[in-house]
Amino acid sequence: MRGGGGGPFGQHAIEEKLTRHDATQVLRRLVPYLRPYRVRIVFSILLLIGQTACLLAGPALVRHGIDAGLRKNDAGALNLSALIYLFAAIAGLFFGRAVIRMVAKVGEAFLRDLRSRVFRHLMSLGMDFFEREKTGKLVARMTSDMDALQELVQMGLVMFVQNGLLFVGAILVIFLMSWKLALCTLVVVPPVVIASRWFRKASNKAYLLVRDRIGQNLSTLQEGLAGVRVVQAFARERAFTRRFQETNEAQYDANIETVRISAKYFPIVEFAGVAGIALIVGIGGAFVSADIVTVGTVAAFVLYLNNLFEPIQQLSQLYNTLQQAGAALQKLFELLDTPPSIAERPGAVDLPDEGGLELEHVSFGYGAEDVLHDISLRVPLGERLALVGPTGAGKSTLAKLIARFYDPREGNVEYADVDLRDATLRSLRERIVVVPQEGFLFAGSVRDNIIVGKPDATDEQIRDAIAALGLVDRFDAFPDGLDTEVRERGSRLSAGEKQLVSLVRAALADPALLVLDEATSSLDPGTERTVERALGRLTEGRTVVVVAHRLSTAARADRIAVVDDGHVPELGTHDELIAHEGRYASLYAAWDSRAAMGRAS
Amino acid sequence: MRGTLGSQRAWLVLGVLSGVSWTAAKISVPLLAAGAIDNGILPGNSQAILVYSLVIVAVGVVQGLSSGFRRYCAFRIAYRSETDLRQRLFAHLQRLHFAFHDEAQTGQLMARANTDIFQINQAVILIPLTIASSLTLVGVVTVMALQSVPLTLLSLGALPLLNIAATRFSKRMQPVTTQLQEKLGDLTAVVEESVAGVRAVKGFGSERLQERQLDHEADAVRDRSLESARLRSGFLPLVDFLPALALVAILWYGGHLVLNGELQLGYIVAFNSYVLMLIWPLRMAGMLVAQASRASAAAGRLDAILVTDPQVVDKPGARELPPGPGEIRFENVAFGYHGGRPIFTDLDLLIRGGEAVAVVGTTGAGKTTVARLVPRFYDVDGGRVLLDGTDVRDVKIHDLRRNIGIVFEDTFLFSDTVRDNIAFADPQAPMETVRGAARLAGADEFIDDMPDGYETIVGEYGYTLSGGQRQRLAIARAVLADPRVLILDDATSSVDPTKEHEIRAALREVMSGRTTLIIAHRPATIALADRVVLLDGGRMVAEGTHDELLESTERYREVLAQAAAVEAASTVERVP
Repeated sequence: MRGGGGGPFGQHAIEEKLTRHDATQVLRRLVPYLRPYRVRIVFSILLLIGQTACLLAGPALVRHGIDAGLRKNDAGALNLSALIYLFAAIAGLFFGRAVIRMVAKVGEAFLRDLRSRVFRHLMSLGMDFFEREKTGKLVARMTSDMDALQELVQMGLVMFVQNGLLFVGAILVIFLMSWKLALCTLVVVPPVVIASRWFRKASNKAYLLVRDRIGQNLSTLQEGLAGVRVVQAFARERAFTRRFQETNEAQYDANIETVRISAKYFPIVEFAGVAGIALIVGIGGAFVSADIVTVGTVAAFVLYLNNLFEPIQQLSQLYNTLQQAGAALQKLFELLDTPPSIAERPGAVDLPDEGGLELEHVSFGYGAEDVLHDISLRVPLGERLALVGPTGAGKSTLAKLIARFYDPREGNVEYADVDLRDATLRSLRERIVVVPQEGFLFAGSVRDNIIVGKPDATDEQIRDAIAALGLVDRFDAFPDGLDTEVRERGSRLSAGEKQLVSLVRAALADPALLVLDEATSSLDPGTERTVERALGRLTEGRTVVVVAHRLSTAARADRIAVVDDGHVPELGTHDELIAHEGRYASLYAAWDSRAAMGRAS
Repeated sequence: MRGTLGSQRAWLVLGVLSGVSWTAAKISVPLLAAGAIDNGILPGNSQAILVYSLVIVAVGVVQGLSSGFRRYCAFRIAYRSETDLRQRLFAHLQRLHFAFHDEAQTGQLMARANTDIFQINQAVILIPLTIASSLTLVGVVTVMALQSVPLTLLSLGALPLLNIAATRFSKRMQPVTTQLQEKLGDLTAVVEESVAGVRAVKGFGSERLQERQLDHEADAVRDRSLESARLRSGFLPLVDFLPALALVAILWYGGHLVLNGELQLGYIVAFNSYVLMLIWPLRMAGMLVAQASRASAAAGRLDAILVTDPQVVDKPGARELPPGPGEIRFENVAFGYHGGRPIFTDLDLLIRGGEAVAVVGTTGAGKTTVARLVPRFYDVDGGRVLLDGTDVRDVKIHDLRRNIGIVFEDTFLFSDTVRDNIAFADPQAPMETVRGAARLAGADEFIDDMPDGYETIVGEYGYTLSGGQRQRLAIARAVLADPRVLILDDATSSVDPTKEHEIRAALREVMSGRTTLIIAHRPATIALADRVVLLDGGRMVAEGTHDELLESTERYREVLAQAAAVEAASTVERVP
């Protein structure tokens, strides 16, 4: 609860501020994205101006009605004013409707494109990118950042422009009516502007604190619930409730601070509004006596006052929405600027259908330090090689280089004598397939999950793949067969079933070289045997590199490479390595004695 | 709810008073402006103009001040009740029995304490605002009607339409918003999967497939958004249009009244202001109804939790645990979870003071249940559990649990310092005691190696510990209070077998001189016990030393072999 810090709760990310320079940059980059919509954008602005004119016409017509109609006892002039007012109102209704639709069309099309473009770019980035960045952060680009833009498109943008036009328009109109009275009236505007700026900044800061405190409070709450058994086991309910009280009250204090700020701001604004009326009535009254303005003008000024104050408050609030959207765009552009580390070379060739794998003096590291040091390995066509070694020794990294998730820092990886860097990505992914055995399942049906590697596969091909692994019975047992929904991350399937789906997926893709990352979780013995049998059939006749977590798997491979600290100190068949009495032999001895216990039954 | 509001009567009164004065001030300003026009400007009475202006300023001061007060009171009341309610909920949840927490999901409870309480808060905020709005409405209508009833009807008649339109709008908007949220959720799911499953995506080169999916979802999001824009475009312009109709009516009909000498000109201005004043209160009425229904649903869900009584509570007249060696006795114990399938129908078990007994059995045989009945995490359905001759139900729970130290399989550590985690049972414990417990649990060495030693923050947001290290901290936590009975509930099962011996050494140390109940399936851990009890089918089927049972009991060998097979099949290099 001390390092709690925020969390995904509370209001929007208010702290994201853009400097003027950044804002200019973002705007500049935005221009090409908006170019396709330029006609509609210009049209939208015209509509907005029309709508604003209709809104601003009201008080002017009241003025005309008073001066030309009421003061001169001319019913005709009064009727005309009212009639024009009615038309202005109706026109405003249609303008308003058209503006919302037009802006939505442009904005939503823009967002749709941006989503697609950002995602495509994301998918083109290399594994190094995904390992460096946290999943949550990447997802946030496509969710909360897009939401900030969506909010702007849906409400903010129209309101922002509308209020800006209204404010400027109102000032313009009152100056045209009487610049002297206008100058006197505008005295009340600067305090409101200053107060609004102060309010925006103070409340942003306060809400940021509220968000932090909510986050902290929620994490205490979460701990209190997740750890309730420990709390009760040690009879600490009362103490823990007191602990919650601290964060709970801290959240209250932060909330009250926001209340204090608005309790200071709104009185100023309301008072300024009333003071404005007093000014107009007082000075305007004197002007009427001096014949500088008419009564109608005084009345119109009182009514225009609303059009000055509302926009200031609205714009001040909308400024946040605008800032957030700007910050979101900036982050999205940054993402779009990240170059893919694994790109296809110009003139890349397709990999041959079959061939052996060869690593020559391969060194690699994620950061400054190398994880793999000068490794050379040959895996001839059809051989099954197991990589064995402690966690962090570099087994998985080696597997990733073989699949070209990364390019080596030094040396090269070749398949059928073609450097992977010279191969087309499509042929690479067809020949070499990586199978995390602990299969990752996507939301959708079992079929959707199987065709991942071959989207155009027919049901017959799928059934063949299932049959090839001897899993017909298991797949027939699913409630809706291939149409069984697996739900998010496959939570409806058991761990064993997930592995089987993952294996069928690989069988359907039918690669020449299979890179298998063995599962670490244990299954019940029956399923375990099914998985092993399917695995045996899958690897049959293929070149296979398996990252082995179990020595039983390693023992079944043609050859074993012991990976330790980025080197391959031992390489050979099971019997050779046992005879060698090195690391593998001692690992095997330790494992065997424990397995013996299990075999005793 | 009523109770939490009651304690704030003073703020409530102040809030209502300032609300009333705010409304009064707000309504009088247009009247004063009208007066200034009719009695000052039109007759050219500059002294009257001055007086009116000054009075308007004075009223402005009142309006400003009461606006601040009413706002402060309203929000203060709302936040106070929110905070109190959340505190009550938390305290209640802390007291609720294990069985409740077994069934409730943490996420659900979090939602109760977070979103549901927030919904209630939003409704409470609206109460004083609604009072002020209603007052404004009544005041304005009265003032206008006093001048001219037909004009009032004509100008305000269209405004309720605003309310009707708002209700209709939100009703039609709701399914679209829900659909939009769903579609956004689908889109997020595609992104999340593609990022989390990027190895699978790239491994099979299926980026195109994911991209097609995303485009599909993005299209759906766009279509829903456009639909919602269409609905908005039907409603939002009305917010300007309907009041404008009222203003037209005032100018036209009111103008004719002025021409006929039935209305003073200033009221044209005043009525204009009044119409604008009523827009918000009318729009809010719809919001209030919607929020009230959300809040009452939320309150219902909260109430369901608050009325759940803790089932495991002190009996009236419960006493302290009498001193004793820590002898545990199960007599004819019957028990089943949540009244479901019975785990035990008639279990007898005796663990003598100072003895270490391992309980062994297959999954579902009730090993862990035995461990949970002693500290009264659950109450037995029949028979009784005795600690040093006293039925555990007759002892004060606090005292009972303070005499029992438990190490769970899931070693939950709090986001707090190492010191505070070890001293969890007794935060006042002197540093020497904390160090002593750590030493006993074999944790002192790695704690000293940590960046801030005993002050290092661990837990979800803190320093990352290995499974074995977490386990040793949990052991230190259990022995800090020097408990009479120590329960090791599958305490070594999540520890890397190659590191298990380190923990075993620590355990041997802490077990000496205490009654120890060990739930285990690894022979090495079982070997720590003086005696082994084999549970099967809800009863004790065999007892003896590990070696004796290995020798004599076929079922014992089976159970151990099964456990070992599962483990041997799992990894050689399990990441702790």
